[in-house]
Formats: sequence, C-alpha cells, structure tokens
Amino acid sequence: MAIAHDFEYLKPGTLREAVRTLARYGPRARVLAGGTDLITLIGEAMAAPDAVVDIKGISGLDRIEFKNGALSIGALVTFSDLRDSPIIAKKFPVIREMTGWLASPGIRNRATMVGNLCSAVPCCDSGPILMVYDAVIQVAGPAGKRKVPLSDWFVGPRKTVLKRGEVATGVVVLLPKKKHAACFVKLRRYEGEDLAQASVTVLALAGNSYRVSFGSVAPWPVRAHKIEALLEGQQLSDSLIRKAAQLVPEEITPITDIRATKEYRMHMCCVMLNRGLKAATARLAGAGPEYGTSLI
Amino acid sequence: MTATKFVGESPTRIDGLDKITGAANYVDDLSFGPNLLHAEVVESPYAHALIKSIDTSAAEKVPGVVRVVTGREFPHRFGLYMRDRFIFPTDRVRFVGEQVAAVVARDAKTAKRAAKLVKIVYEELEPVLDLAGALRDNPTLVHPDLGKYPRCPWFFPQAGTNIAHWRKTRKGDIAQGFKEADVILEDTYTVPRYAHCAIEPHVIVGLCDLAGRLTLWSASQSPFTQRHVFAQALAPLGLSHKDIRVVTPYVGGGFGGKAGVSMEIIGAALAMMVKGHPVKVRWSRAQEFYNTYQRQGVIARIKLGAKKDGTITAIEHTLHWDAGGYVEYGANVVNAVGFSATGPYRVPNVKIDSVCVYTNLPPGGPYRGFGYSEFHFGLESHITRIAKKIGMDPVEFRRKNAIREGDTLAYGAEMNASGLHEAIDKVAAEIGWGRKEVSKDPNRVIGKGFACFWKSPAMPPNAASSAFIKFNEDGSLNICASGMEIGQGYFTVMAQIAAEILTVPVSKIRMEAPDTDRNAYEWQTVGSHVTWGCGNAVKAAALDVRSKMFEVVERALGLSRDTLYVEDEKVKCRARADFELPFRDFVISGIQTEHGNFIGGPILGSGVFMPEFTSAVSDPETSQGGHPNVHYTVGAAAAIVELDKQTGRMRVLKAVLAVDAGKAIHPELVKGQIVGGMLQGLATVLYEDIRYSLKGKLLNANFTDYKIPTSMDLPGEIVPIIVEVPQPDGPFGARGVAEHTMIPAAAIIANAVDDAVGLRLKSLPITAEKVALELQGIAYDDVKGAYMGLCFAGHLDKYDFHTKAAKK
Repeated sequence: MAIAHDFEYLKPGTLREAVRTLARYGPRARVLAGGTDLITLIGEAMAAPDAVVDIKGISGLDRIEFKNGALSIGALVTFSDLRDSPIIAKKFPVIREMTGWLASPGIRNRATMVGNLCSAVPCCDSGPILMVYDAVIQVAGPAGKRKVPLSDWFVGPRKTVLKRGEVATGVVVLLPKKKHAACFVKLRRYEGEDLAQASVTVLALAGNSYRVSFGSVAPWPVRAHKIEALLEGQQLSDSLIRKAAQLVPEEITPITDIRATKEYRMHMCCVMLNRGLKAATARLAGAGPEYGTSLI
Repeated sequence: MTATKFVGESPTRIDGLDKITGAANYVDDLSFGPNLLHAEVVESPYAHALIKSIDTSAAEKVPGVVRVVTGREFPHRFGLYMRDRFIFPTDRVRFVGEQVAAVVARDAKTAKRAAKLVKIVYEELEPVLDLAGALRDNPTLVHPDLGKYPRCPWFFPQAGTNIAHWRKTRKGDIAQGFKEADVILEDTYTVPRYAHCAIEPHVIVGLCDLAGRLTLWSASQSPFTQRHVFAQALAPLGLSHKDIRVVTPYVGGGFGGKAGVSMEIIGAALAMMVKGHPVKVRWSRAQEFYNTYQRQGVIARIKLGAKKDGTITAIEHTLHWDAGGYVEYGANVVNAVGFSATGPYRVPNVKIDSVCVYTNLPPGGPYRGFGYSEFHFGLESHITRIAKKIGMDPVEFRRKNAIREGDTLAYGAEMNASGLHEAIDKVAAEIGWGRKEVSKDPNRVIGKGFACFWKSPAMPPNAASSAFIKFNEDGSLNICASGMEIGQGYFTVMAQIAAEILTVPVSKIRMEAPDTDRNAYEWQTVGSHVTWGCGNAVKAAALDVRSKMFEVVERALGLSRDTLYVEDEKVKCRARADFELPFRDFVISGIQTEHGNFIGGPILGSGVFMPEFTSAVSDPETSQGGHPNVHYTVGAAAAIVELDKQTGRMRVLKAVLAVDAGKAIHPELVKGQIVGGMLQGLATVLYEDIRYSLKGKLLNANFTDYKIPTSMDLPGEIVPIIVEVPQPDGPFGARGVAEHTMIPAAAIIANAVDDAVGLRLKSLPITAEKVALELQGIAYDDVKGAYMGLCFAGHLDKYDFHTKAAKK
C-alpha cells in the first residue's frame, strides 16, 4: 500500500533528544515504536503527523527487569518479548496468557505493550491486565520524569494524559505480596487474530480477595470496584458469583458496534466473570486450567 | 470401465514445484520496467447520485501525473450477459466505491495524492437499499435505461422496474400438489452478501503499444471471456479480438471473483489512453471487497408440501436477490437457481420464481456455488423441519425423495446418472446418524445436522473448450489449453487425462497458464466444469495426437493403423509383437524410410468440446422445453457440532461430505476440494458477517472485521468421501466437484444447532453471538444495530414477498 502522506522521520539517539523533538512538534508529532497501529493509521489517512519520532534508537527501553518485587517493562518491549520471557512466565503467567490471544505472531514481533497503552483503544488487551496489578506508567517529558497510575492514564478512546513533549518510557508492575493467581478471558469472533469483543481479567489473592477488570466494554479498560468490594473476604460460591454478575451492568457501559451488540457484551461479561473467578480461584489453589486455556 | 493407469492415481501436482520454490509468477510479480505507470481511481462516496460535474484540472497539474481519465473518454458500457456496467459512469453512480475517474501517474503515491484533487459534484438520489422497496410500484430506478441494454436472449429484464431478470419455472399443478399434501411448511430465510477473499487481490497491467496492439496481464479465471468483453467494450476505439491479447499467469485464488470482467476494464481502458506505457491497476484489499463482485444476498420464501409417508408433493420457492448496481454476470446466478431450487429431490409440482433485483450496493456476481449455497441453506433447513413435522427421520425423508437417474427435472429434462443415495448412506454411516452424543463439558451440548446438495454448471449452451497438444523431441508433451490453474489442480488433471490416452507419464507433461494468442480457446474456468469440459477437449486432442502418430507409422512403415496401439511411450503393433517405436524417435523428426527420406514431422493434436445437447431456448413463463444444464453433481454432508449454551460458541467436531465425482481422476485433489470447500462453507456460516451502513457503505472491507477462518479454526475432523457413478459424457466418467463441497455447509450447521438446542436460525451467518442471544430470548434482529448484510434491514418474518412489481 502506498502511503500518500509525507512526514518527517526522526530517530533521536537519546530520550532527551526525543523529548525535545516531541516538545517542538507538539500534537503534530507521533511516537513510533512498533508502528503496528501508527503506520496503519497513516496509511488509511486517519493520522497525518508532520513528524514521526522513532524511539527505537534510544537505548535501555527494550528491557524486561524484575527487581525487589517490581517488574519493569520498557517502551520497546514487544509482546513476543513478553511471551518469551522466563520471568513473565514464572511471575506473571497471566500476562503471557494474554499475549497468546493478542494479534498474530507477526504483529506480536513488532507491537509493544507500552504502545498498546498509548494507543488507548477501548479494546487494548494490556489495559485490563495491568489494571488489576495497579500498574504505573513511566513518563518522560520537558518537565522531567513522572509516574502515572494506570487508573489515571486513559481519558477517552485513543486519548491518554500524555502532555506535549511527553513520551511513555515503560510500565512498572508490582508483584502482589500475597499468594495469588489470575485469569484473562477474551471474547473473540474466532480462534484467529482478533480484537476483544469483551474481556475479563481476574486476579485472585489469598484470603478471598479479588481484583477484576473489563476490556472493550467502556471508553477505556475499567476496574470493577463494586464487584471487588462484594467479593472481598467472601468464600466464592455460585450464589456469590450470581450476585457479582448482577453488578456487571453497574461497572461497564458496552455499546453496539460492528464487533458485537451491547447485549452480547453484557451477557458475555457475566459468563466470563463467572468462569474467570472460578478459574483464578482454582489456579490459586494449585488446580484449575493451565494458563493459556480458553475458558469460552 | 477398463482399468486406467494414470487416471485415478494421485501424482504430484505439476505446478507444485513452481509454487513451493516461489518460481510461480503472479501478475504483480511481473516486471514491466521503469516506464510502468500506476493508476488510482476516484470513487463515489454515495450509493446513488447524479454526477453533475467532474473537474480534473487540479489533479492534472500535479507533477508526475500523466493522465486523468473519466467517462468523457469512455462513455461505453460493458458486461458479460447484459451490457449494464460502465467503464466510468458518466451521469450516475450506483454504489459506494464505484470508479468515477482514474489518475495515471509515474508512481503510486503521486496517483493517490492527485486522485484526492479530482473534484466531483454529485446530486444525491434516494438509494435503493431495501429489496421490498425496490419492487414497489413506481420505485426509484437504478437503471432507467434498462430496456435499452443489449443482453443474452435468456434474460428477461423488465423495463421501468428494478427487475433485471426473472426466471420462472413451472412444473405440474402447484395448487393440486399442495392439496395432496398432509403437511405444508412455509417460512422465510435470508442469506447476506459475501466476499470471495482470494489471497491475491485483482490486478491488471495493460499496454497498448504504438502500433495499437493491446496486451493485458490479468489475474483472471477467464482470459478468453475477458478478451471478448474487452473487444466489445473497446470496439468504438477500433479494436477487435485480434488486436487484444490477454496473458494470465498463475492466479492466487478466484472462487468466481475473477471469472468475469470487473475492475479489469479500467486497466484496458487506461492503457488505450497512455499508449506505449504499461499501466498497472492493483486493487487494495478494501477495493477487493467493494468493487469486484460479491456473492449476492437473497431473501427466500419456501412453501413445501409433503404426505404423511414423507413424499414431497409440491414446492413453491420464491427468491428475491439483492444483485447490486450491475448484474451483467450476477443475473446468471439468479437464472441458475431458477432452474434448480427444488434441490436434488423428486418434486412433481414446482413453482420457482428467482428474481434479480437491482439495488445500490456493490455489483453481485459469480461466487463458488453460483447461488446454490444460498438456496440450499433455506431448502435443506426446510427439508429437515418438514421431516420432523411429520415425525420422520430427516435422513430417511431425504432418502425417500432423493432424485434418481431418469427422473424429470423441474424444467422438464431428465436427471443424469447420480450416486445420491450412496452418498446419503455413506455420510449417515460415517457421522453416526441417530446416535446421540453427550459433551463432557456441562455447559455444552452436541447436535448433528445433515443435508443433501446438487449443482450444475451454469453455462451458455455454446460454452466451448479446446486444447492443443504438441510433442517435444524427448517425447515429452505440452498441453496448451486455457483453463486456469486456480489452485484446484487443473494442470495435473489435464495431464493425467492426456497421459492416460498417450501413456506419457504426468512428470513428462508441461502445462502453462494461458495466453490468448497461443493457447486454444476456453470459455471460462468456472462452474466446476473444466475437468469435464476441458478434460473432454484434452482427451480429444490426445486421441488426435495418437491417431496422427499411427498415421505417420502407417505411411512410413506400412503397418496398418488399425493394428497399432500405444504402450509405455511407444507405438506398438498387434500384428507384429516385435515392433515397438519409442515416441521420442519420431514425434518431431519423423521416421526415416529405406530410401533415406523422412516421413511425418512434429506431431500436434487438437481437440474441441462443446455440449451440443444443451439449449437455452425455453418458454419464459415455465422454463419448459429447453435443456439449460449439462448435468448435476450430487452429494450429501453432515456435521457434529458442540455448542456452548452460555456463550453460543460452536465447534465443529466432525464434518463429513460425500460427492459423486463420477470418476475421481486425482482422488487426493478431490479430497482437497472437499476439505477446502467445507472450510469455505463453514466460514460463511460461522464467521463471515458483512456489514453495510443503512446508507449502503460497506463497513468491514478488511480482515479486522470480516473474519475468514484460520488454521486454528479447523474442525476436529473432516472426512471426505468419494462416490463414483460415472458421467457417461465425461472424460473417464468424471464430472465436476469443486463448488459443490461448500454448498451444504450452512444447512448442516443450522440443522445441527437445532438438533443441539432446539433453536432454528433462518438467517446467516450463524454466529456465536446470534446463538447466545437467541438462547437468552433476545431476537438478534431486534438488537443488531444499524447494520445490514444485504438490502434489507428489517425482521425477516416481516419481509413482503407480494410487493407490487414482483407479483406473479
């Protein structure tokens, strides 16, 4: 496909230079990491930046590090990197579970998790997963570095809190101190590469504590605080799950679009919550389906 | 049948090495040098509008732009069966995405930029986006000049309406038939539009040299038909068939989408405007969806009557087709269904109305199955339902009514040899019909569905095939025919047929994609007919070669040709056991006599086949009196489906399909057709879900939201079964099997879902979402949103078949 739009391609060698360039161009510049979203947008004339700032020349952004219970994922870490990482497989198997249903191997080789958060589409799979871990995004900008909790990150479909000149450099996830297990359930139209029609992430912590999030059913990924409060300290049972499912309409605001009706999304969020809660709880007990097993 | 040596074996495909090594060239692989120009079209944003003005001046000023072309240069219409389509429309656009102008530039990027600068002023018209509305009194007309269009004689357009063609078939006494029925079941089914989704998008390169010779390199299933349509369309410019050459390298999938002429006309026209420069028109994936052909949508009403013992007494089948803005090919789909919508059953009283309706969606056209998949969904759903209604097993019901050789078809001709009963029995046995299965998962239930199918090629009565065969010095052969190797294995099968006659092994036979200047004529590679039609021509050519060899041996050596035969690439003689003459010793250089001279020379043969027994002449009110179809290929299929009652998600645990190939010339390729066709069929049932806005814009012209299955979506198992009841006029008894293998897919799934959860779905696709919502008591039509899959956005039960223009 010929890209008719002309733009300046810039590849800074340092973060400082990147920030300076971004500050200079402001909204007329776009950051390029994997490019799986941006290049498509430019190709289809849905984005027309004057400058594309490639951050792949900046060293140090391609690392996955786990230190003192904190996992750092750099802005250039791809989904394939995550999928192949032993530390992810060992400490955050649910992240690996998510990458298995994200796009296709070719896309995963290019697309980055931080890029997924920056695209901020309602169906981004990284969002709901990282939300249950209360992840924090690291941002560099003209005023220095700052940290943004993921709960404050999204401000609308395709909109984040990033300001002029700022670039996300990584995301930090704390490993819960309690014993825990998790589960990601993604509703797709088929087994091939698909965007989530809806998704549910459940993190089960020892002591009957749960964290729950939903994807593709609100303007951005959402945490289900009412459901979490209901479940807190309670032994999981069918009747409790039923009560939790009754709260789903209070947590999400699905719409009807080309990928699904709001009715199906609502219905399936209840089904997936049910199955996700049971699977995460079973995994916590050392049983349950292996990570990567589809529950629907 | 005598024993065969090559036919019935499964040799390595002769195009295999080309494809596995990447040596195979497709149009976009060909190099045309630095003078190659690129085209970008300017498209209509409206489904229906008048073109008030076109201003190309700004685009023409862009550096690198060579030419901007509009309907001013090409006010001509074109089309295969009816000339209703425009190279560039001059006064009116008829679907969103229709080409209105094209920019030719030195590179693709420049062409794209300049195309944005072409200013077109439109006056929006009310679009025809509702089938029932299109058939009302005084409707908005898509083609006000319909009455003036040249067409083939077996189409019946109705001037002053949106009816492009109406095929009526009447047999017996329909009222009496329903009177004799103990049970009558009447219902409505809809099938949306579908896209072919071939891997290779349409692409054409045209070059008109300075002497006026027009050569086109085209990704096509039908090089000769394309040449013919180009010659007709460009005749006003002084071109004729001899001036036009179509070269078709390998094709990356056709499925009917490359059977006719759609976007290719643009390449031909633009080449005439930039003489001396090759110009490439390459469709994007999105254009592939909305500006080639689509499978037409249909709303069908079936009224079926049966006696308590299961005998079908009558069928009334009314089909309203959403054929799109142009029907030059698609109307023939409607026509084909009009003859055959009884399905493969004995039905004494028949009333079929297959109505082709112009609408303001993209043009409909040929798609694997040619209308049969569409009507089989409703019909085979209906057959299972009426069987259950009278308390009969649906397979037993089918066995009882299944058509047999010699039965009278709906249009009065006789049914050909058929292994339908054998297919039914084999499929029922393989699927374990009658045995209820239980899922291990408490959320899931398992159902089984069964269906029969049939299909005939839909060919004009004079659709011909021909072939040349020539020898090389080493005794190897070239077959020069013009069918297309579109993945089905045509080259290999033709080689096997020639091998069988001439005893030259398949490995010594070369076949290349055609060039209309050099290869023998072939009508089209469509209708699953090339094994049969072109196979007959290749067989005739091989027999011609053989007789020419005998003639040379007789003249040179005095052996009577009646005593000669071929074996192991040698001519042998029944009268002289010690005589053998290897082909390679004489097929080019002849045979030296005792006088030192040579007799013979290069051995060439030719063969021709045309189904001379067919005729399209029949009574337009009843379709009686003609013989429109050459023969039907029949079969049966079944599926075992596991369904999650909460999510609606379905998994096909096993699918079985038996098809009567007459004779499987290459059994592995037949099995390949069965598996591939079943997958394509399942895709149309479970995943593919085309969405138009209510203003006629295609919203999912991409694989992000138009889903075709991946390797991960394969059924647990597909069991292909080959039945062989020979077709007397086929090569070695063969008949076609290619399209047929996807036809029953929709019905077997619909019937399995009903069997599993008692839910009867009457519109395609059958997605997990639709199943889950219906199981929750939510009618999908109530909540689906402002989308439509064909020109009908309402409730299917509310569709009015007795709209004014379409009243009987």
